[in-house]
Amino acid sequence: MEISVDRANEVLIAKVEGRIDGANAREFEDALNGAIGEDDSKVLLDFSALSYISSAGLRVILLIARLLQKRNAAFALCSLSDPIREVFEISGFDKIISIHDSQAEAVDKIGR
Amino acid sequence: MTQTPYKILVVDDEPDLEHLMRQRMRRDVRSGLYTLYFAQNGVEALERLNEVPDIDMVLSDINMPRMDGLTLLAQIPNIAPDIRAVVVSAYGDMKNIRTAMNRGAFDFITKPIDFQDLRVTIERTLKNMEEWREALESRDKLVRLQNELNVASKMQQSILPTEFPDSDHCEIYANMEPAREVGGDFFDVFGLPGGKIALAIADVSDKGVPAALFMMSSRTLLKGSAIGAIEPGAVLKEVNDLLTEENEAAMFVTTFYAVYNPQTGQVDYSNGGHNPPLVVHSDGSSTLLPGTDGLALGVFPGVNFGQSAVVLSPGDLLLLYTDGVTEAMNADGEEFGMDRLQAVFADDPPGSTEDANKAVFKAVHEFAGETPQSDDITCVTVLQRQV
Repeated sequence: MEISVDRANEVLIAKVEGRIDGANAREFEDALNGAIGEDDSKVLLDFSALSYISSAGLRVILLIARLLQKRNAAFALCSLSDPIREVFEISGFDKIISIHDSQAEAVDKIGR
Repeated sequence: MTQTPYKILVVDDEPDLEHLMRQRMRRDVRSGLYTLYFAQNGVEALERLNEVPDIDMVLSDINMPRMDGLTLLAQIPNIAPDIRAVVVSAYGDMKNIRTAMNRGAFDFITKPIDFQDLRVTIERTLKNMEEWREALESRDKLVRLQNELNVASKMQQSILPTEFPDSDHCEIYANMEPAREVGGDFFDVFGLPGGKIALAIADVSDKGVPAALFMMSSRTLLKGSAIGAIEPGAVLKEVNDLLTEENEAAMFVTTFYAVYNPQTGQVDYSNGGHNPPLVVHSDGSSTLLPGTDGLALGVFPGVNFGQSAVVLSPGDLLLLYTDGVTEAMNADGEEFGMDRLQAVFADDPPGSTEDANKAVFKAVHEFAGETPQSDDITCVTVLQRQV
């Protein structure tokens, strides 16, 4: 699992590569918390290079979503592969977290 | 320093050495760092070791009357396995040094004794011994933890039902294979008023002890709610509201809950973010149960849970499963997936619910091969009998 960070239109874009499971969910959580700055009010996770996410990974997404909600910060996901999107749909997480087809669309939506 | 002095046993047949050692080490002895004991040969050394408990270190000469240092080395582990031994040998006596090291000596110094070197060697030896003791303590703690986990695992397994309804109308079977000692999956099957049967399958985010604790409370809440309310959507709503009340850790549990009427085959269900169950028909074809617009429990308070219904025809099999089945991976990183699950029954519709579960577990294990199981695998199966 690798995370690379970029910014566009005041949106922090964290691109997640590889897989997130029980073994590295904690590492994923720490990496995201480290990447998201105090002043970031718009956070986008780009999942285009994510190959797998387990329920332990979903829990981290939920933790981050709650944290950002408390700060009134925007939070979204983009570019989910079909199997990953299915995980979000089955668990119902797509109802509480906004999901966009592409990075451009997401940045357009939540950016400045 | 307030700790008890390290006890060092010095074994040498030269009578002058005791005097010399006491003189050279007197500051360390007086400050309470070391206590020195002396013996003149291996036999005396063994006697000392038996008399004085907790000797930390032995410093021994090799050539001595009655019992030499190499023989002593071989004897020490029988009396005190954790003791560190350092041998004193003639300069260049590689053969004896090798033998001593092979018999478990920690280090060696050469004669004539360089007391500066001796002091460093003693410090290093005792430090190593301290670390060794700490490692042993950690290991003991781990063993204790492991034992507690085993108890927790047994408790967890013991709350899962092992006896299932078996009547003219239906047959039910369920089982779970946890990936670790304590898991996050659970299922429940219990009777409701009017001859109906409650069916539940659930999967807590993550595994291990936190998941197991969350699983225990989810299971208790679900059973309590199921007995009070009859509509599956209302049951999940109540459990969700209770679980979200205090959930700082953001744990959640995907839950499929159904009320099954064996007389009519009707299954009223609500799906809280769980994998869609499968209805396998007697010809081997199968269909997924449509969702009910649900969300995993524990995520968001106050949400409503929809519900839906399906009627099982005689010969139909309803299979509830967790993602440990569909997300089982093989060495190439491929997932078992829905297609393979449906294929299990396509050519070979099972005769009984237990056979159905066995067939699923077998297919998953064969697919995964040597790849270790990373998630709990659970199946609950209901067969609507041909009357």
